[in-house]
Amino acid sequence: MSSRTRSSLRSLAALASVASLSIGVAACGGGNDNETGGTAAGKPVSGKKGGTLTLVSSGDVDNKLDPGYSYYQFDFILDNDLHRMLYRYKPTDTTKPSPDLAAGPAQISPDGKTVTVKIKHGIKFSPPVNREVTAADVKYAIERDFLPQVGNGYAGAYWNDIQGVKAFTSGGAKEISGITTPDKYTLQIKLTRPTAAVVVGAMALPGTAPVPKEYAQKYDKGKISTYGQHLVTTGPYMVQNNSKGEITGYQPGKRIVLVRNPNWDPKTDFRPAYVDKIIVDEGNDPTVGNRKVLNGQSMIANQPDMPPPPAILKSVTTGSQKSQFIPGPFTGRFRYIALNTTIKPFDNINVRKAISAAMDRNALRLAFGGPAVGGIPTHFLPPGMAGFEEAGGMAGPGYDFLRNPNGDTQLATEYMKKAGYPSGKYTGKQKFLMVTDSAANQRKVAETALATFQKLGFKINFRAVTRDTMYSKFCGVPKSKTAICPSVGWLKDFADPQTMLDPTFNGKNIIQTNNSNWPQLNVPAINAAMEKAKTINDLAARAKAWAEIDRMVTAQAPGVLWLWDKGPSLMSKNVNGVLNQANAAWDLSYISLK
Amino acid sequence: MTTYIIRRLLWVIVLLFFVSFITFMIFYLFPSADPAALRAGRQPNPELVEQIRHQLGLDKPWYVQYVDYMKGVFLHFDLGYSYQNNISVKTQIFQRLPATISLALGAAVVWLVIGIAVGTISAVRRRSLFDRVSMTGALVGISAPVYWLGLLALYLFANDIGRFKIFPGSGSYVPISQDPAKWFTSLIVPWFVLAAAFAAFYARLLRSNLIDVMSEDYIRTARAKGLSERRVVLRHGIRSAITPIVTAAGLDIGILLGGAILTESVFNIPGIGRLAFDSIQNSDLPMIQGTVLFGAFFIVMANLIVDILYAFIDPRVRY
Repeated sequence: MSSRTRSSLRSLAALASVASLSIGVAACGGGNDNETGGTAAGKPVSGKKGGTLTLVSSGDVDNKLDPGYSYYQFDFILDNDLHRMLYRYKPTDTTKPSPDLAAGPAQISPDGKTVTVKIKHGIKFSPPVNREVTAADVKYAIERDFLPQVGNGYAGAYWNDIQGVKAFTSGGAKEISGITTPDKYTLQIKLTRPTAAVVVGAMALPGTAPVPKEYAQKYDKGKISTYGQHLVTTGPYMVQNNSKGEITGYQPGKRIVLVRNPNWDPKTDFRPAYVDKIIVDEGNDPTVGNRKVLNGQSMIANQPDMPPPPAILKSVTTGSQKSQFIPGPFTGRFRYIALNTTIKPFDNINVRKAISAAMDRNALRLAFGGPAVGGIPTHFLPPGMAGFEEAGGMAGPGYDFLRNPNGDTQLATEYMKKAGYPSGKYTGKQKFLMVTDSAANQRKVAETALATFQKLGFKINFRAVTRDTMYSKFCGVPKSKTAICPSVGWLKDFADPQTMLDPTFNGKNIIQTNNSNWPQLNVPAINAAMEKAKTINDLAARAKAWAEIDRMVTAQAPGVLWLWDKGPSLMSKNVNGVLNQANAAWDLSYISLK
Repeated sequence: MTTYIIRRLLWVIVLLFFVSFITFMIFYLFPSADPAALRAGRQPNPELVEQIRHQLGLDKPWYVQYVDYMKGVFLHFDLGYSYQNNISVKTQIFQRLPATISLALGAAVVWLVIGIAVGTISAVRRRSLFDRVSMTGALVGISAPVYWLGLLALYLFANDIGRFKIFPGSGSYVPISQDPAKWFTSLIVPWFVLAAAFAAFYARLLRSNLIDVMSEDYIRTARAKGLSERRVVLRHGIRSAITPIVTAAGLDIGILLGGAILTESVFNIPGIGRLAFDSIQNSDLPMIQGTVLFGAFFIVMANLIVDILYAFIDPRVRY
């Protein structure tokens, strides 16, 4: 998942940060803070049943919570409570999810080309469908993920090796032949390549939440699926609806009301689902919304689209409201300044290393909110990801250009000399296009970085645009010849290192639209290592292989790595807030009221 | 007068055509983002992006897309469906319109009452303490950004995050049909915040016009005839000085009916302004077109109403 979130008021959020009466980030110090935050706070506790919880947010969910389309953190927070995917990360799960709709772990055949999943008996759809879920409902869910009407953003990346996908997407087949249901409770998937590990890993995504074909198919026709407006669920909650199944509890940009799913049987589930009702209060100004949460009752702030502005962050980390603040674990996102390796002199590895060495990454982090927003990375794979320890853990592989988070001018000069610039500075006349996200905190980071580029002699054409524009017109479009993208990052889809490194640094994934390999790194040895690692299904061996790839990518210095995100979270005093360690976001089914 | 109104209404249609065409061309030629790519998420196959482009009709020539859209608008009053959530644009706009109308018209009442009262007193009591204080206050009002003023008002008076818990806070808006009392109280602070700069501007404008008018010959004549000063100011002075205020008010109300983005955002009022802002962020052309058309409609209609009002206010104007 990209670092983009669907905050509809992103720029205003930024404005809020600026307009807040005081912003005192500069006071936050540097130092080593790479330990995982949130010890007791944020962990599951036994709570009392009942009450209404309000999730205060700035933006809205995507396409009415259609699990086939959901691909952003905000969607996932709600999907986790509405649906029963085949697998789900419990709040304490980090790298291995637990069977949810599935009855047990997925069985992978010795050749890595067949995956078999048994599903639980007695799980029912919410009204108006009301019937028991079968394996055919999961089959249809995965099939519809490939429909353009649904517009799923990851099915092609993780499930393209399922036999018959090409025939299905080209219109040559009505079903995907490689997905079969030998009996009512068994799902079998046959692959063209032994890539079972990633196929199974992606089963924790909402795209495997069962969808009743006989009910949903009519909504999946037309330009865009309208299934989200008639959503049925299998989890402890459902979106309030009427007897026809039409959603009545969702007003776009205003409010979503989740109520208990009468067909949910707690005996089949590990979720405690404490609260009776969850209201998502949308459209809040980030500063006002976070203050509402701190001063109010039974509220939590939606981290993905309404992170605490720096001024509030500072006051809650030190003041009397400290108990309402959870530092949050690492989210599984890295942020970096991508350097386009196809543009001279960034095609020169020594120039890239020089820029990394020169950059005061602590200053970049301070510009973004200080230590509370994350740690300074030593390599790409973030904490909490399989392969992280194998890749060097917090200390990292030890590359000199990433050693000093405050920047090392002398080392940078040495690398520039090695690159053929005897003065230690770039002496060419070319001007480089640098495109940043215009949100205030992102822009501040970019402006801080800009000073370093200029110190190294680069002349920069600096442009600030909205996040969507940045991706879809500049950084994600190779022909735009954008040289520097300071606001890019990548968030894991699930805890498999392939999801972090393959879309972002595999030369085979450089595409002309929506390109996520922003540096356009195309190193044959790395590409080959990735293709090999994709077919390793033993998890330990897989982690080791991807850790080695992580070292190879980091050694290339495709950009300046400056943040491993944490998810600082705020809640009202009477809330037992629980974070899911897998994505550092709220786990609503585990939250209770005091 | 009837012919004039019909002629103007026909022009409204032409103008809306023009506005829709310009909006379409701006979006088509200089899109802020690729809607198909946005809809496809972050890791789609290039084939999926192309399939979505086809589904949304974005692969058709621009003129076909435009004609299809305009056919829908004029033949069926169909503004299309959002690229983002596939909900009818018309439905979303009509759902949000009451909030924007409530905000804009209420604020207009506030700024007109305050602006006219302060402007008149300042002009009549020129250089008095009231005049100096109110005009200084007006300068502050004009200079204060709505966004900052909104946050300040909430921090002071909102019943959830405020220092003095007097008024409902952000997100408390309820439609008038649901609870008129709550509707009224939830809008008091937003009305005053939105009206502050307008009231200040109108007060200064009226003051300066009224000072000019009060030195005219016909005012001297009215006084010479023995009319009371109150009657001279209210019946003869203000009636003449208020014409530019009516023009400005017409335009301002028209613009605000198209959405007051910042006020709606700070106070979490689900109106047209926020809808438009979100649509632009998401490159959601049908929604952008819909909100722009509605905004343009309100502005031209407000202009028409102003022109008609002139005939009643100023006896020299005849159609």
